[in-house]
Amino acid sequence: MKRTVERIGRPLLHFLHLRLGLTPNQVSWIAFGCSAAAAVTIGSGRLGLGLIFMAVGQIFDGLDGAIAREFGLTSVEGHRLDTILDRASEGLIFLAFAVAGLAPFRLVFLAIVAVLLLTTICDRSKLDPGAKRFALYAGYWVPFPILFEVIFSVNLAAYIIGLLRIDCELQVRMDRLGGDLDTVASRVLAHEAAEAAVLSSGAVRSSHPHAELRVPDETRVAPTPMKAMPSSQADR
Amino acid sequence: MTIFTHILATTAVVQAMHLRDPKQIALAYLFGVAVDIDHVVKAPFYLRAIGLRDKRGYYWRSSLQEPVAFLWILPLSLLLGTVVPLVCFAVHLLMDYSVCYEKMPFYPYSRYVTRGWLLGIPDRRKEAVLASALVAANLALWWVHR
Repeated sequence: MKRTVERIGRPLLHFLHLRLGLTPNQVSWIAFGCSAAAAVTIGSGRLGLGLIFMAVGQIFDGLDGAIAREFGLTSVEGHRLDTILDRASEGLIFLAFAVAGLAPFRLVFLAIVAVLLLTTICDRSKLDPGAKRFALYAGYWVPFPILFEVIFSVNLAAYIIGLLRIDCELQVRMDRLGGDLDTVASRVLAHEAAEAAVLSSGAVRSSHPHAELRVPDETRVAPTPMKAMPSSQADR
Repeated sequence: MTIFTHILATTAVVQAMHLRDPKQIALAYLFGVAVDIDHVVKAPFYLRAIGLRDKRGYYWRSSLQEPVAFLWILPLSLLLGTVVPLVCFAVHLLMDYSVCYEKMPFYPYSRYVTRGWLLGIPDRRKEAVLASALVAANLALWWVHR
């Protein structure tokens, strides 16, 4: 879907980058500027105009990554800046709804917390339902407090599922390492040793900055002997 | 700890907090007992790695019942406007951390591993003493509130 949109919008990408000379980071800042304008407009009570600014901001927000991919300008720093500005945009816009009296501060605060929690793990869990600013367009039909509850619930649920997913992935990698299945500590250490071995042997991470390392078979850790268990464990 | 002891502890909390609303009671058992559902999620891993043998030291906990879960239980409690999930989950954690299986309290933010507390006392003895104390506490609370 994303690729199809990028193919259709390719002339626009070329215009922005080649004709106007805009870099992906500059486009990210333009998107943030539009979102800040949206927040000010919504906060001052002009919801319709604010939503238009928000839509323009989201279009630019989609274009920064598209330009980066189209012209081979992807970078860890760019991804980080994009994420920070996205969260800042959402924070400002969400707070604007509270300032305008369209939703209670408590719900807005909780929605921001849920979005931030999800952001801390979504690069690793690869799970982001995208229910953030986009949900607010439904405000013409659904009361905003309900929308903020939905944003909170969806993002918090994605956070919980993401935590489980990351946990299961660690379990799979620890199990593959073999070794002493009685102690988590030894297996985590073995996993870290394998990661270090991969890094020292010059293995490269995948293109994604937070992607997990692939551990080749030859770097797997040999089974470790059973650790001496505390006396309290003897009767488990 | 076994599910039986968690049920006893949660029942004591329900009685001690005078919970009457069925929703509050459901929340209490959800966060005091049902968070153990992650063992079901981890069961396939256990079966694949160990099989049907009894190997209790195998790590089959998850972030769902570790202190890191407070990060999502706290905002959820704020939304629901009740401390019941926080209290019941804290009780569940305190009980689990008195059993000396290894745990990763802050994963995925940290790979710190701990065995918990009261390591000098055998697990079975801790469980037996706690279960007995909880039965007594439940009877006492029922007697007081009847």
